[in-house]
Amino acid sequence: MAVPLTVVDDSRISRKMVIRALPSGWDVEITQAENGEEALAAYRAGKADVMFLDLTMPVMDGYEVLAHLQKESLNTFVVVISADIQPEAQERVKKLGAMAFIKKPVKTENIVAVLEEYGLI
Amino acid sequence: MSVQSYNEDQTDALQEVANIAMGQAGDSLARILDNFVTLSVPRIRQIAVHELADTVTTMVGDEEDVSAVRQAFYNSLRGEAIVIFTQSGADELAELLGYDCELDAAIEQELLLEVGNLLVGAILGGISDTLGTEVGFSAPSLMAERTPLHEMLAPDQLSWEHALLVEVNFSVEKHRFKSHLLMFMTEETIETLRGILDEFMDDF
Repeated sequence: MAVPLTVVDDSRISRKMVIRALPSGWDVEITQAENGEEALAAYRAGKADVMFLDLTMPVMDGYEVLAHLQKESLNTFVVVISADIQPEAQERVKKLGAMAFIKKPVKTENIVAVLEEYGLI
Repeated sequence: MSVQSYNEDQTDALQEVANIAMGQAGDSLARILDNFVTLSVPRIRQIAVHELADTVTTMVGDEEDVSAVRQAFYNSLRGEAIVIFTQSGADELAELLGYDCELDAAIEQELLLEVGNLLVGAILGGISDTLGTEVGFSAPSLMAERTPLHEMLAPDQLSWEHALLVEVNFSVEKHRFKSHLLMFMTEETIETLRGILDEFMDDF
C-alpha cells in the first residue's frame, strides 16, 4: 500500500525538487503543505506517515512543527530537509524528534540512504 | 529602461536559491562566531532607487545607527551586495570573535570587512553553484560607519536606478548581533537572471 507522505516547504520549486528526487520504486501518496500549520493538518488527516519537513517557513516553521509533534506524542517519521546546514541545526531537530536530516539541494541518493537505513524501502 | 517584474515561479525559484545560499553563509558565520545563527526566510523585491531607503528601513528598522560593507559582483550576474550591521551588533562582533582587548576603530573596521566578505562570498558562491553560473566579486569596502540608515541609502550614494533586492538576515541567539545582507542587481542582470531561473526551473 502506498505510504502517505507529506512534503512541507513554503517554496513550490523546492517541493518540486524534493518530489523529483524521490526514489522511483518508493510507493507513496504525496500531499504538499506550504507551512507548519498545513503540515499538522495533513498529519491529522492521516496523510503524513512520513513527513519531509523544511525548517525556515512563514506562519509556522519546521522547529514548531517538531515541537508540536513531540508535545502531543504524534507518530510520524520526520525527515528534515533544509538549507540550514549548521551542525547545531541538525542536533536541534534530532532532539525534537526528527529521524534524519538532509541538506538542500536534495539529492535522490541522500533520500535513499535515509529510507534504507530505517527500512522504509 | 522599464523592467518587467518576475512572475511568481521566477520569484519562488530565486527565493529558494537565496535560501540555499543563505544556509551556506549562515553555516560559515556560525563557525567563526562559534554560535548558532538564526536564519530568516529570504525576501525578494524589485524596487527603484528612490524607494530603497524606505524599503530597507522597514526591513532593518531605524532605531539605531548602522555600519555597512559593500562589495560589487560581476561576470554573468552584476550588482552590488551590501551587508548592514546594526551598531549594537557591530559592537558585539569583537566579543563574539573572541577579542578581549580594547578595540580601536581600525580593528573594528577590519572585523566588519572580514565578516561582510565571508557572508557575501558564501551567498554568491551558493547562488552561482546552485544556478551553475560564474560570479566574481571585488574586495569589500566600508560603506558607512555609525551612520543613520537613511543617510547611507540616499540615492546619490548608489550607482543604479532600478534593482532587484534580495534580502537575507542573520542573527545570533541571546546576542544583539544582527546583520542584513542585501543584493542589488542591475536592470540587465534582472533579465539575465530571469533566463537563468527559467532554465533552472526547467530542470524540475
